[in-house]
Amino acid sequence: MFKANSLNHLAQVTRRHFLQDGSLGLGGLALASLLNDGANAGPVAEVPFAPRQPHATAKAKNVIFLSMSGGPSHLDLFDYKPELVKRTGEECPKSLTDGKPFAFTSGTPKLLGTPQKFQQFGNSGAWVSAAMPKVAEIADDLTFIKSLSTDQFNHGPAELLLLTGIPRTAGRPSIGSWVTYGLGSENRDLPGFIVFVSGGALPSSGKAGWGSGFLPSVYQGVQCRTGGDPVLYLSDPEGMDRALRRLSLDVINDLNRIQGAELGNPETATRIAQYEMAFRMQTAVPELMDISNEPLHLLEDYGAQPGAASFANNCLLARRLVEKGVRFVQLSDWGWDFHGTQAKEDIRENLVERCKLMDRPVAALIRDLKQRGLLDETLVVWMGEFGRTPFREGRTAGGAHLGRDHHPLSNTMFMAGGGLKPGMTYGATDELGFNVTENPVHVHDVQATILHLLGLDHLRLTYRFQGRDYRLTDVFGKVIEGIL
Amino acid sequence: MPLPIRIVAFLMLTLLSTAPANAAPPDAVDFARDVRPLLSKHCLQCHGPDAQARKGDLRLDDREPALLELPTGNRAIVPEHPADSELIDRITSDDDSRLMPPPKFAGRLTSAEVETLRRWIAQGAHYSKHWAYVKPVRVMPPAVSNPAWPANEIDQFILYRLDEEGITPSPVADRETLLRRVTLDLTGLPPTLEELRRFNADTSPDAYERVVDALLGKAAYGERWGAVWLDLARYGDSQGYIHDPPRTIWRWRDWLITALNNNLPYDQFTLEMLAGDLLPGATTDQRIATGFHRNTTNNTEGGSNVEEYRHASVVDRVNTTMQVWQGTTFGCAQCHSHKYDPFSQTEYYQVFAIFNATEDNNSEAPTLDVAHVGREEERVTRAARVAVAKARLDEQTKFTDSQSASWEQGVDRSKLAKEIVDILDLSADKRTKEQTDKLTAHHRTTSADLSARQAEFQSAQSELERVATTTLVMKEIPARPTHVAIRGEFQTKGDVVQPGVPAILNSVPSETKLDRLAFARWLVDPENPLTARVAVNRLWQELFGVGLVESAEEFGSQGSPPSHPELLDWLATEYIRLGWDTKQLLKKIVMSTTYWQSSRVTDELQTRDPQNRLLARGPRVRLPAETVRDQALAVAGLLSPKLYGPPVHPLQPKNGLSAAFGASTDWETSLGEDGHRRALYTRWRRNLPYASMITFDAPERSVCNLRRIRTNTPLQALVTMNDPVYVEAAQGLGRRILNEGGETVESRATHGFQLALSRSPSPDELKRLVSLFVLSRASLAREPAKAVALATKPLGPLPAQVDPVDAAAWTVVGNVLLNLDEFLAKR
Repeated sequence: MFKANSLNHLAQVTRRHFLQDGSLGLGGLALASLLNDGANAGPVAEVPFAPRQPHATAKAKNVIFLSMSGGPSHLDLFDYKPELVKRTGEECPKSLTDGKPFAFTSGTPKLLGTPQKFQQFGNSGAWVSAAMPKVAEIADDLTFIKSLSTDQFNHGPAELLLLTGIPRTAGRPSIGSWVTYGLGSENRDLPGFIVFVSGGALPSSGKAGWGSGFLPSVYQGVQCRTGGDPVLYLSDPEGMDRALRRLSLDVINDLNRIQGAELGNPETATRIAQYEMAFRMQTAVPELMDISNEPLHLLEDYGAQPGAASFANNCLLARRLVEKGVRFVQLSDWGWDFHGTQAKEDIRENLVERCKLMDRPVAALIRDLKQRGLLDETLVVWMGEFGRTPFREGRTAGGAHLGRDHHPLSNTMFMAGGGLKPGMTYGATDELGFNVTENPVHVHDVQATILHLLGLDHLRLTYRFQGRDYRLTDVFGKVIEGIL
Repeated sequence: MPLPIRIVAFLMLTLLSTAPANAAPPDAVDFARDVRPLLSKHCLQCHGPDAQARKGDLRLDDREPALLELPTGNRAIVPEHPADSELIDRITSDDDSRLMPPPKFAGRLTSAEVETLRRWIAQGAHYSKHWAYVKPVRVMPPAVSNPAWPANEIDQFILYRLDEEGITPSPVADRETLLRRVTLDLTGLPPTLEELRRFNADTSPDAYERVVDALLGKAAYGERWGAVWLDLARYGDSQGYIHDPPRTIWRWRDWLITALNNNLPYDQFTLEMLAGDLLPGATTDQRIATGFHRNTTNNTEGGSNVEEYRHASVVDRVNTTMQVWQGTTFGCAQCHSHKYDPFSQTEYYQVFAIFNATEDNNSEAPTLDVAHVGREEERVTRAARVAVAKARLDEQTKFTDSQSASWEQGVDRSKLAKEIVDILDLSADKRTKEQTDKLTAHHRTTSADLSARQAEFQSAQSELERVATTTLVMKEIPARPTHVAIRGEFQTKGDVVQPGVPAILNSVPSETKLDRLAFARWLVDPENPLTARVAVNRLWQELFGVGLVESAEEFGSQGSPPSHPELLDWLATEYIRLGWDTKQLLKKIVMSTTYWQSSRVTDELQTRDPQNRLLARGPRVRLPAETVRDQALAVAGLLSPKLYGPPVHPLQPKNGLSAAFGASTDWETSLGEDGHRRALYTRWRRNLPYASMITFDAPERSVCNLRRIRTNTPLQALVTMNDPVYVEAAQGLGRRILNEGGETVESRATHGFQLALSRSPSPDELKRLVSLFVLSRASLAREPAKAVALATKPLGPLPAQVDPVDAAAWTVVGNVLLNLDEFLAKR
């Protein structure tokens, strides 16, 4: 498949991958087709995101990562603690809080039971609060992890840890770029990693959450925008129609070919291929982003509106993208930081209001994927960067609004599809929801598991940078066998 | 699949192994060349310098421990007796429980590898220090087959190697190509047509040399090479992390540009950046220079553990210093002793201790009040004027003086805010300081009496701000105690360590107080084996696309061996001999026949040396992100020559999002020439770097980056086809074509082609451009409104008498020229 001389450019970055048995297969092969600047502008150069074989049999082909930026309150959505409700207003036991840092709380905070009504749903009997009525209906399709923890109690570091594997802005690749680096994409007209942002703000990790870090920039997530061009610089300049663009492109290609023949440089052939893909993207992306041809009942299910900028639209778009073979779709939804410092951060009615914009589209997405037979091969992940404290946040303890502080020690997430056991709840926290008591899961374990479901071994998915083989899970992470 | 990979690996090994200069017996094993890579690959992870990770009490990276008796009673290596050496037994064992490396680590040694080790032991198992840790030795440039070819010593080394390989070097490139190449390389900008004409007309033998001297003297030189240093310094105009608030440190960037333009010798440049504040009688410029290490990120998120991020900054400074000056991945030793290179964790924290003595604490402070480049005198005068105006204002607004009292009595209270009335109701001696201040402020903004003095003060202040700014600097404080951070965790403290330098490198005199300055002096000590090599390798990498050591970030045992070790060492020693004169060294390289070669490549050479490591042809690589943009603006006639100053905001589509908890991520486009400045002046927000730079492989600059990986992607095509910056450039180029290109379509197309590519089109190329113009024009003539848009958005209205359809059609041609592979590449 590869000719020796087609690897010239790639050799520059990956020679040591070749010479090292450990990471041979993947690093080398992935880069071979992506960095192809080779002489034979054959099928490889034509398809920069050529699909690649994983390490092992994959259960999932694609991922939709729903990143709830800000840290939704698991205690008011999924992790029901009647004992905590009973003890509302009591002082939080010192034995729990001593020596632990909280972002905005010091001294002895007061316990806070959930104001939300909880109920069990489906055959699985999963507990879900009234703030998430639609997700509750599909509880039997979900795999809950209630024993999740992280190392970080601040948004920025916690979200960086979740999305890049370490809690610092240190030029590390994001999970989506690791996945496309490992697997490529199955769509030749679209990038392999696409990102949407809703809630009006960038996530706490900024662009690093979909950056390629030290991986070649080809693996960075392409942020689709909700206003203007869906992909930056997708539209031709005003006044230039498609025929004129095609004409220009033909001349660019012709002149490049003349030059290529003159100088014999193989990179020229690759450049021609890239321009052709750009041209196809110009048509493919807007078509894909246009949801007006979706049936009304489906738009209704999602709560999506053609032309709107919303998480609901993004969920529907995520389905359209995985349908087209886009490998990794990341939806970042800002606005889950319920401290109680103002009315819109109150975990009573306002949490319910906020959830309305998220609950319905998430449930619709999973149902829609299932109906189309896509859920088996698509892993949907829903999580925030950390959980919330079982006590009232320190600054707002005497205020009118109920809120919780950041809590790294316990959190709940759920996943669906991708070959996981559906309708199960894994792990548990203590009666106050403070600490994990059963089957602890760290965010590194979640990362390892996502890669595993895609057929990638997190220990072998490495990239050499500054003399060291790096991986998404740093030096940690183990696959959560109990949910497979 | 495996076969071609082996072929590639074989090719590369063949290419990179250099025959030793003196003839040794044909079967002699060279430790550095043959054995160390094997040990490094197969053994050292468990039997290397890292005592924590060591298995079976066996250490193989050094001769003395490797020969010791093992707990089993055997010896891994018995010199001259491979049969008695357990190492050989273990790597050839059929018993999986004995086999090394253990079967769970993929990769049994090949029989050739085993044979190498066997012979090495038979020949006495001699070790040698890794080449990178041995001071470079200057060797005489070798004699070559064609003594007429070399222009200088560099060529002798290059041709000697080509002779060995039986390859003939390429002919010299034509003058246009050469001028464009060297102008882009030294200034990051293309030559103007006037420069091209002058060079073509100048037949004197030193024409090229004079061009090189002129280029090295241009201010654009400092901007081009400054951009390289911005990656090394992880420069940004924001603090990083969640809020990514703005940071004002651009004055350091301007220092960098002037330092490079003034050709500050590299040793002095190093001292000033790392420890300018500690130099005796440190000047303001030398203190500004220390901003190099204030480019670390700060986390301003509420509740952050300040010490955690301060610690991270120091770690970053240690790693960056060792990367930029020593080309070593010293950072590995942050968590454990290095697995492959002789750096212990203790040594890591000894260097850490040197940097663990500055005042900054996850904070922007300390900062320095400074003037814009060359405006210090004005800053002083204007600051004095502000002080005077301030005093006059204060004098008039003190609420104890009679004028204020009379204002109090005369003022119409019904028109005042209740808050102010409440304060006035109190007698002056009952007012708190806060209340007095509030009243003062109110008085200042409303009282007509004061408006003149107020205006005077404000105008003095804004005059000052035009020449003054602040910048982050390093400030030494008594050293904090430094502990080994166990597993790299800042809260898990191990033994206390004192400042020190790695033992494998050059030493410091024992009586030296090892602070940042002493450390910087240690780096530029000619005894240091790495500093000069790493620096010259970086220059080489910029000019040829790949360094002599390809892994610019790793010269140690896990790095790639140099393609021309003797040349690397010759250049390193030459750099020191020249007094670390960077411009002289660059001149030497671009004056070589090696550099002058045509980049045309035959199929055979492409197959044999795809990466051009042997340099049988000239460099041909895609231009860096900054140059791609600057070049487009330059040929469009839009590029501003303005130097220095606060970061600017070129065209960028609105994002419509705010930062998490922060302000809008969009910016207002800079007006006037600030909209068209060179790329390195663009505001660099770490959380949202300027999109087209990232697309063309610029790093986000959270950490130091020594080598950009060049990719070739469809998103790059979208940028140069459609980004308004490039559309505007195409319009500018179109207008220049119309304005300067004569009267015929042919002459105009030729002119545009020459502007973009610094050469004349072939008849075939010209034909295509002409037909593109004719067809575009015909199409646009049918839709004049589209033509107007295409010719004017965003550049603005056309001059009178210009036909919008013509201008639009030339914009199409301009757009094509700016997208040619040849335009985007140096060739």
